[in-house]
Amino acid sequence: MEKQIAMPKLREEMTKGVLCAWLKEEGETVEAGEPLYEIETDKVVNQIEATERGVLKRQLLEEGDEAAPGAPVAILETE
Amino acid sequence: MERKPEWLRVRYNQEAVDEVAALMKELKLNTVCKEASCPNLGECYRKHTATFMILGSECTRNCRFCNVTPGHPLPPDPDEPENVAAAAKKLGLRHVVLTCPTRDDLPDGGAAQFARTVEAIRAACPGTTAETLISDMKMNTDALDVVIAARPEVLNHNVETVEELQKAVRPQADYRRSLSVLRYCKEKAPEMLTKTGFMVGLGETEEQISRLMDDVLAVGCDILTIGQYLQPSKEHYPLARYATPEDFARYKDMALKKGFRYVASAPLARSSYRAWEALEGVQ
Repeated sequence: MEKQIAMPKLREEMTKGVLCAWLKEEGETVEAGEPLYEIETDKVVNQIEATERGVLKRQLLEEGDEAAPGAPVAILETE
Repeated sequence: MERKPEWLRVRYNQEAVDEVAALMKELKLNTVCKEASCPNLGECYRKHTATFMILGSECTRNCRFCNVTPGHPLPPDPDEPENVAAAAKKLGLRHVVLTCPTRDDLPDGGAAQFARTVEAIRAACPGTTAETLISDMKMNTDALDVVIAARPEVLNHNVETVEELQKAVRPQADYRRSLSVLRYCKEKAPEMLTKTGFMVGLGETEEQISRLMDDVLAVGCDILTIGQYLQPSKEHYPLARYATPEDFARYKDMALKKGFRYVASAPLARSSYRAWEALEGVQ
């Protein structure tokens, strides 16, 4: 089943997040709890964990892209 | 945005965050984790721990380093003490940290609400320890007496920065007043642990840091926390530097040699981060 991963709202005032790095390539398997990508906020770099196991089917943002909370970031193929 | 140093990386799991956030919403509670945009929120919520911010989410002061919203807070919620206790029970907390925005609008600075909340936690969660991370309560000893009478295991009040930067960083507070709060509480209840914390990266020197440690030690402070200042937004006090993990190790060593009973010193150490470890470390 394909599942869309959305940009999290890391803080109340967050209007957009910058995806600064992908930690998995398309086609790679990610385990639940394993970091999938990084978002930089004013304070720190947040490594966003996958909440379930799956294959990263598509990266919808490139490194350096900005997106609003809730915006699609990736497609995960889950079992 | 300048790239963050390698050691300022944190993990974030949306499901874990949503779970704790839903509990707080259900019980109409605030956490300083959320209000201060704490970088450790992901880790702490995942471990089912949080620091409760009682007495609302708006602050009557406007410190330049802090992300808590300045404004006109509402009167204390009479149900809040029981709701905090219920949340602590549900999360299975062994050590509960309570903090607040500074409530200069209340005659007692919110002391009674602290006391009631500690009592509610004691009633609902026997054996659970409590830490009150208080404002200076304008050094109102009647108010401090109310908090002390509730006998939290740890009385925490942050000096936040070295004496030389106080006016620029926390203009409505005062270094000497904060020291007086710590001294008063220790003298009044010598068996109660006292704790304070400060940030580095605001422009302080090593000599000023050393003096700060001497000053808080001189008022009997048992536990010290040292963490990196992280600028919440461009409108906040400018960041002077990122201290390295080696710097933090050196500060820790310095503080322990001076005589603190427990020191947490790391880039992402915060006043209430892993607070139970400090308590266990002293006991």
